[in-house]
Amino acid sequence: MISAMIKWMQRYEGWVGGGAAACLIVGLYLGLVASPPDYYQGEVVRIMYVHVPLAQTAMLAYSVLFGGSLWYLWKRDPVVDNMCHAAAGLSAFFTAGALITGSIWAKPTWNTWWTWDARLVSFAVMFLILAGYLMLRTFVDDPEREARYAAVLAIIGFADLPIVHFSVEWWRTLHQPLSISMRGVSMSGEILRPLIIMGIGFSAIFAYMLMVRTQMLYLRRLLIAKKGRLLSQAHLSTAGSGSPSGT
Amino acid sequence: MPFFRVIRWVAWKDLVSEIRSRETISSMFFFALIVILVFSFSFSMDQEAARELIAGIIWVAFAFTGIIGLGKSFAAELQNDCLEHLQISPAPKGAVYLGKLAANLLFMLVVEVILFPMFVIFFNLDVVEELPLLLLIFALATLGLSTVGTLFSAMTVHIRAREVMLPILLLPLAVPVMIAAVEATRGALNGLPLSLYGNWLQLLAVFDVVFTVLSFWAFEWIIDS
Repeated sequence: MISAMIKWMQRYEGWVGGGAAACLIVGLYLGLVASPPDYYQGEVVRIMYVHVPLAQTAMLAYSVLFGGSLWYLWKRDPVVDNMCHAAAGLSAFFTAGALITGSIWAKPTWNTWWTWDARLVSFAVMFLILAGYLMLRTFVDDPEREARYAAVLAIIGFADLPIVHFSVEWWRTLHQPLSISMRGVSMSGEILRPLIIMGIGFSAIFAYMLMVRTQMLYLRRLLIAKKGRLLSQAHLSTAGSGSPSGT
Repeated sequence: MPFFRVIRWVAWKDLVSEIRSRETISSMFFFALIVILVFSFSFSMDQEAARELIAGIIWVAFAFTGIIGLGKSFAAELQNDCLEHLQISPAPKGAVYLGKLAANLLFMLVVEVILFPMFVIFFNLDVVEELPLLLLIFALATLGLSTVGTLFSAMTVHIRAREVMLPILLLPLAVPVMIAAVEATRGALNGLPLSLYGNWLQLLAVFDVVFTVLSFWAFEWIIDS
């Protein structure tokens, strides 16, 4: 029997994926071609249309992971655990993307690849927590225990991130005021419109990838369970009287 | 069984076994000495540079030795299936957590109190006036490390590669503790007025409260099987 959640995903994943593709095509056209270059930054500013949605989607994915982890601890539904696993991998992927595009953007504008700014450090810590989460999952042998431990880690990590952000902000502002800040950027509609469309597109493509990946992990779990049953059956029939009895 | 009796018995049990074997504290202590040695070779420090760097060195040494102690905390329970008996005992799981936390906190603080004079001697520090404040900083930050650390110690005991996974899980989460502990310790060692770094003590206190409550709640999910 296929879980209701998986059935729901199978029904809607095509629409979500199609919507994501449409948003991304329109957003990329508006961002890369139609919108004007920035007065100060020139053409470099166009990386924003990828960087900002990547960062937003990374946080969205972690929020889904957090919500899913609470849900799992409450209901103990293995499908929800598959979804959490998928969301964590995607969140790590988008976080890494945001860090890399951020570095590429920072070099021409801030003249440095990296600075110990609160947002940068929070994202780096978030990436490390997610990497630890994914590693933890590979090291636990029992699937039920794996799901439980992973959910607890995701919740603890989620509670930590605001404190990390806050402490780094404090740490830096006490030492030296940030000479470079992303605040105070007022945007015109020509820039804001593609940014919003790209944001929707990235959220949709995250939703699509989440659906596909959840189904994949779900099927893999069913497959492993089936394999275990078949192996134990085969073992029983050979360990018994020696006559082939498996039908 | 009353809640507080369980806490006391679990902590007392860890304490007695530590007094008899002296495994955890002595391994933590010698590891920390090696860390100090490596640092003093890595940086050639004059008095001026030492004042800037020493707080960071102290906390790297404390955090790394803390991880050694925390890793042993639940691994020791594997012998004679003690862990299973903790799991099936009717004692409230939260009390077991608080007992283990108390023992870990105590071990780490003992090692820190033994180590700190070494820092004073090797790096020529002047600390007499700020000693009570430094002890408060040590206590708050060590509690922060050991709340999540005790939870993760219980979590990693059942998994493969647990010696690697404990620091990989713990250190990113402990970033706020490390920043606050280093900044507060540096302030105290340089004799700055408390108003300049008192907010770091508040941050440590907030971290301690948040993660003691969270870990207390989450321990039930970790130990239950």
